[in-house]
Parts: sequence; C-alpha cells; structure tokens
Amino acid sequence: MTTWITRNGGRVALTAAMLACAGVLGQSFWDYYMNAPWTRDGRVSADSVRIAPQVSGTIESVDVADNDFVHKGDLLYRISPESFELAVERARTTLDSERESMEFKASVADRASRLKDAGTISAESIEEALHDAAAARADVRGAEVALEMAQLDLERTEVRAPVDGYVTNLRLRPGDYAVAGSPSITVIDEDSFGVTGYFRETQFERIHVGDTVRIKLMGTPDTITGHVESLGHGIADDNGATDAYGLPAVDPVLDWVRLAQRIPVRIEMDRIPDRAFLAAGMTASLTIGDTPDPAR
Amino acid sequence: MGSSSNAGVFAPGALILAAVSYGIYRGLHRILARAGRYSHVWHPALFDVALYASILSASILFLEHLPT
Repeated sequence: MTTWITRNGGRVALTAAMLACAGVLGQSFWDYYMNAPWTRDGRVSADSVRIAPQVSGTIESVDVADNDFVHKGDLLYRISPESFELAVERARTTLDSERESMEFKASVADRASRLKDAGTISAESIEEALHDAAAARADVRGAEVALEMAQLDLERTEVRAPVDGYVTNLRLRPGDYAVAGSPSITVIDEDSFGVTGYFRETQFERIHVGDTVRIKLMGTPDTITGHVESLGHGIADDNGATDAYGLPAVDPVLDWVRLAQRIPVRIEMDRIPDRAFLAAGMTASLTIGDTPDPAR
Repeated sequence: MGSSSNAGVFAPGALILAAVSYGIYRGLHRILARAGRYSHVWHPALFDVALYASILSASILFLEHLPT
C-alpha cells in the first residue's frame, strides 16, 4: 500500500490539481453564465397612443402618411364636417328663437308687474308670467350650451396628435367611416422609448432599481448605457384561470424539472445615440452592471 | 456574453468559444502526449476532461472581462 502511494502519489496529485483547477474555473463560469443578471431577451418598448375620434363620420382627408413623425397638435385626419356645420347652424337658430321668446316673455312679465299696481290682473297671471320669463332665460342658456357643444363637435372633426411621435401601421383611407370612441390610428410616443428585459426570477437578488445596464441592440456594435427604472411586480399565473364552476384549473406537474419564471424589468436609456435606429419590439442584449464586470 | 452573427443566424458566443476551446485543447493534448507527459498522469481521460473544462471556463471568463 505504501509502495503504491509512493509510486503513484505524484500522478494522482497532478490529476487532482487539474481537476481542482477545472472545478474552480467551472464554478465561476457557471456563476457568471447562469446566475449573473444578463439576458439576450430584451425588447425595445414604447408606449403607443391609440387615438379614437370623438365624433363619428366619413373621413374626408388623411393628412399624415404611415411612419410620419408628428408633433403634438398636428392634424392627423379630418372627418367630413358638413353635418356638423349644419348642426352648428341649427343650434344657432334655436338660440335665436329662444332669445326672441325670452324677450317676449320678459316684456309680458314686466307689463304684468306694472298692471299689478293698478289691480287689474290676478295674482295667478302675474306669477305665471314671471315663471314663463324665468323658464325662457334658462332655455336661452340651454340653447347657448347646445351651440357650444355643436361647435365643439365641429372642432372634433379634426383629429390631432396628442403626443410627439410616429404614426404607425396607418390603415386609414379617405372614405373610411370613423366611429366615435373606436381607435383608428396609433401614434408611438417618441419620449417613451425604453427597453424591457425579461430576467429569470433567480437573478433578481442581483438586480436593483438604479443599477447601470449595458444595452446592445441586435446587429449593432454600439453599446447604449441605461439604468434599471423599475421592476415588474406581476406576471400571469397559468393556474389562476377558473372553469365554468368558478374553480381554479390547476395543472398537474411532474416536478423534476422546474423552469424559472421570467419577470419584466423596465430599463431607461440614459442617452439614445443619434444614429441608432429604434423601433418598438427590437431585440436587445442586456447586462446589468452590478455583476463583477470590469468592462463597465 | 454576446452573440455572433453568421448570415443572420445568431449563435451564443459560448457555443463558438466551446469549439475554439476544443481546438486549443487538442493542440495542448498533442503537445503533452508528444512530450510524454501523460506518463505523469494518473487517469489520462479524467485529466483531459479537466483540461478542457479549464480552457473553456477560462476563455469565457477572460473574454467577458475584456473591455468592450
């Protein structure tokens, strides 16, 4: 036995040393590769505003083209205004008529009040005349509001951009019918571009709000720096759906292999390079700077 | 760890490094064998596995720590 060790001790030690070396390196490689907070599954995200008209009507003209950049307040499209112009005219005539009637009733009430002193009119008639005059004043105010509403509707036939951004997936043509309240045009808010990274739940111990992030868009050599803006606080649970009887549908599992869930992390870009082309949905590789990484 | 692109197909960088590491390992293995060093090794196969694992881990860690 002693002879075996003296004969083979050196050989065993050399092999063991190589194994130990592999173990240490492999451990730190695994730690970096599996646990460090980096992901290839980042997506450029942006908020889009789905703009719906506030009045219904046939679209007379579309004043933007697909992918146009629009400023806040720019005209997007115009709904045919004829019927709204007529509505304004009608409201105006109603107002005129109500005013006329108000003046008449006011003079009736005035006369009745004067006759009251002469005692030639019943108290009931006076009261009636005063009531009529008051109601007519209210009717005038109502007609004024109706006119303002009609004018507002006429203004709303011009649909304008609520934010600075890009018109996206424009499928609107003159002649289409725009329905009030149903979105017809989408504008991507220029100021809202960010990146959403999907990180495994096992990595969250090492991700904090404010950490620096290196963002690499697919196919571009540049690295954009950013920081963690916020962490997602919820994803859908497949087992939460209820059946027809209100009971949760829980899937049976074979619990040998478990997959980590992924949680979205919202990342803000500190400075967007001028020449970088950004579109919502693009792929980005993300490395959270908190990792032991001198490349930062 | 970045990706490398070949005609639009993106492969993880670690996959490329695994192939490169294998080449390095083959070279080292040949040199050691020619020098007769394997007579000082207890289990050549075990030693080879450990050697390859070391090369792969070291190259990935080294490349990741290079300033990009």
